[in-house]
Amino acid sequence: MLRNYLLTAWKVFMRRKLFTAINLLCIVLTLVVLMVVTSLLETAFRPSGVEGRSDRFLQIVMMRMDSPDGSRVSTTPLGYKMVEKYLKPMPGVERVAAATLPTGAAVYQGDRVSEVQMRRVDADYWKILDFTVLAGRLPNAADDAAGRMIAILNASTARRLFPGAPSLALGQHIDINGQNFEVAGVVEDAMHVNAFADIWAPISTFGSSDYRNQLTGMFTAMVLAERGADLPRIQRQVAQIASTVVQDDPKQWKTTRFWADTKLDLFARLTMGNNETIDSGAGKLLALIAVAMLVFMLLPALNLVNLNTGRIMERRVEIGVRKAFGATSSQLALQLVVENVLLCLAGGLLALAATAGMLAWLEHIQLINYMRYDLNLAVFGWGMLIATVFGLLSGVLPAWKMSRLDPVHALKGAI
Amino acid sequence: MIRLNKVSKTYRTDKVETLAVKEVDLHVKKGEFVAMMGPSGCGKSTLLNLIGLLDRPGEGSIDVDGIPITRYRDKQVARLRNSSFGFIFQSFHLIPDLRVIDNVELPLLYRAMPATERRRLAREALEKVGLGARIDHFPNQLSGGQQQRVAIARAIVGKPQVLLADEPTGNLDSKMGAEVMDLLLKLNSEGTTVVMVTHDEHEARRTSRIVRVFDGQLVA
Repeated sequence: MLRNYLLTAWKVFMRRKLFTAINLLCIVLTLVVLMVVTSLLETAFRPSGVEGRSDRFLQIVMMRMDSPDGSRVSTTPLGYKMVEKYLKPMPGVERVAAATLPTGAAVYQGDRVSEVQMRRVDADYWKILDFTVLAGRLPNAADDAAGRMIAILNASTARRLFPGAPSLALGQHIDINGQNFEVAGVVEDAMHVNAFADIWAPISTFGSSDYRNQLTGMFTAMVLAERGADLPRIQRQVAQIASTVVQDDPKQWKTTRFWADTKLDLFARLTMGNNETIDSGAGKLLALIAVAMLVFMLLPALNLVNLNTGRIMERRVEIGVRKAFGATSSQLALQLVVENVLLCLAGGLLALAATAGMLAWLEHIQLINYMRYDLNLAVFGWGMLIATVFGLLSGVLPAWKMSRLDPVHALKGAI
Repeated sequence: MIRLNKVSKTYRTDKVETLAVKEVDLHVKKGEFVAMMGPSGCGKSTLLNLIGLLDRPGEGSIDVDGIPITRYRDKQVARLRNSSFGFIFQSFHLIPDLRVIDNVELPLLYRAMPATERRRLAREALEKVGLGARIDHFPNQLSGGQQQRVAIARAIVGKPQVLLADEPTGNLDSKMGAEVMDLLLKLNSEGTTVVMVTHDEHEARRTSRIVRVFDGQLVA
């Protein structure tokens, strides 16, 4: 029976090539958008590449301070003192790293000035993130302690500043914002929330040690748990630690709150602007994304419902004949749905190819610096699932409607 | 074998109500060849659809082999149609996208049967109607008479007890019509019950019984 279904489906599709092409185009366009979004979400939130351990680390990016009467609120990144005094001593975790947010810096090479994004990080940062070292080495605790003026470049920056192989950059001296650094290592480009930068240097290379005394500043913290299962406990622990913070001027800022977030939580907190409770709003955000995707699929699906109804209506005599010879409504509905799902799966395969092309293009034009897009098996699986759902959404209603046609009327070519 | 008891059928639209069949009592016996005649719009095709369980009566009941099917659900009726009835239509109603053999196989798709067996029976039916050499053709590559013979092969492939033919020669010239009629008579002589709607008096006289319909009722 399936062979007959497939044969009929193929013939029906080929009978009206333009119609089939419009159908496919509609499916492909919708699925490409959905699959690009899925791929972006996969790349952003699944543990992969340099943030391969993100299933067991949390990040603290912002803190919120409230005035005693609650009339004023300040939201700011952490100061180094906050990380060192309150978070680093935290028990029950593997390690805690401090890193500044990426900030613009100028690299001077003779007359040439290059704009770069720079982070100052401690040695633990390199142990939480999995950078691929292309040449040289990564900074360690001894470098931090000694305040060695060394810098790590990513591959693109190394190429830009010192054209040629990454090793050619090693040992070279660069002037960053008036400070002289020696290039100690070159790492592969990476685009992840915590990894993004062009140049890294140890925190202890700051021109002044003032940062050590500041509770607010430009730092973020990363907490690596021993096991992924520890994350909820650590999140509660961090929330509790925040409540013990005494600001430099308690009369101005009485309460402090900050949250240790997973990557998804962090994204949700920033998007939803939820910085009052431990709940980042990730659940709500995921639900919103799911609803948005469904609505995005629903609109073209409704259009396809109309197109399919027209396509199936052309076949009402065939439906009448099949009914006359014993086909039940459910068998016919199944046949028509199978045809539509097949079309959508074919659209899904085309969309996969188009998505791969689109992602390669996005990577090529560097819409987001250093972003790598993966069209992996999970994305493929999601794509096929989306195609099937799309096929069902747009196929079930017309199939059900047409399968219930009265055979006498159907044979006359009437509705 | 098939008995219609006081069967009536009314078609309703928003504005019009048409009584197509009125209190018809009809008994089609096993092995009979019944011709139904009457003017256009008198209710012959409606009667044929009721006999073939394509339509349900508004009033009255229909018995098949002594079993009343009025309370059968759609699925049971579909199963009964598949096992006991074969249909031949004036416009052939072959599926243009399918090859001849695939068209003939169609009724067997709705039976639990291996594909090889379906193919064997379809070939056998096509050979019976003299089209064994045309299995890979598409309907539009055949003449009208050949298409109707394919339709007959499709109707008999499931070895039904009853063949229902709605003006099977209506779209054919006299020579092809005679060939189709010969085929139906041959099938009847082999034991298949045939009920045929026709306008052709000559064809009707070759059958075993003529039933005349006028204004939705049987007339003597």
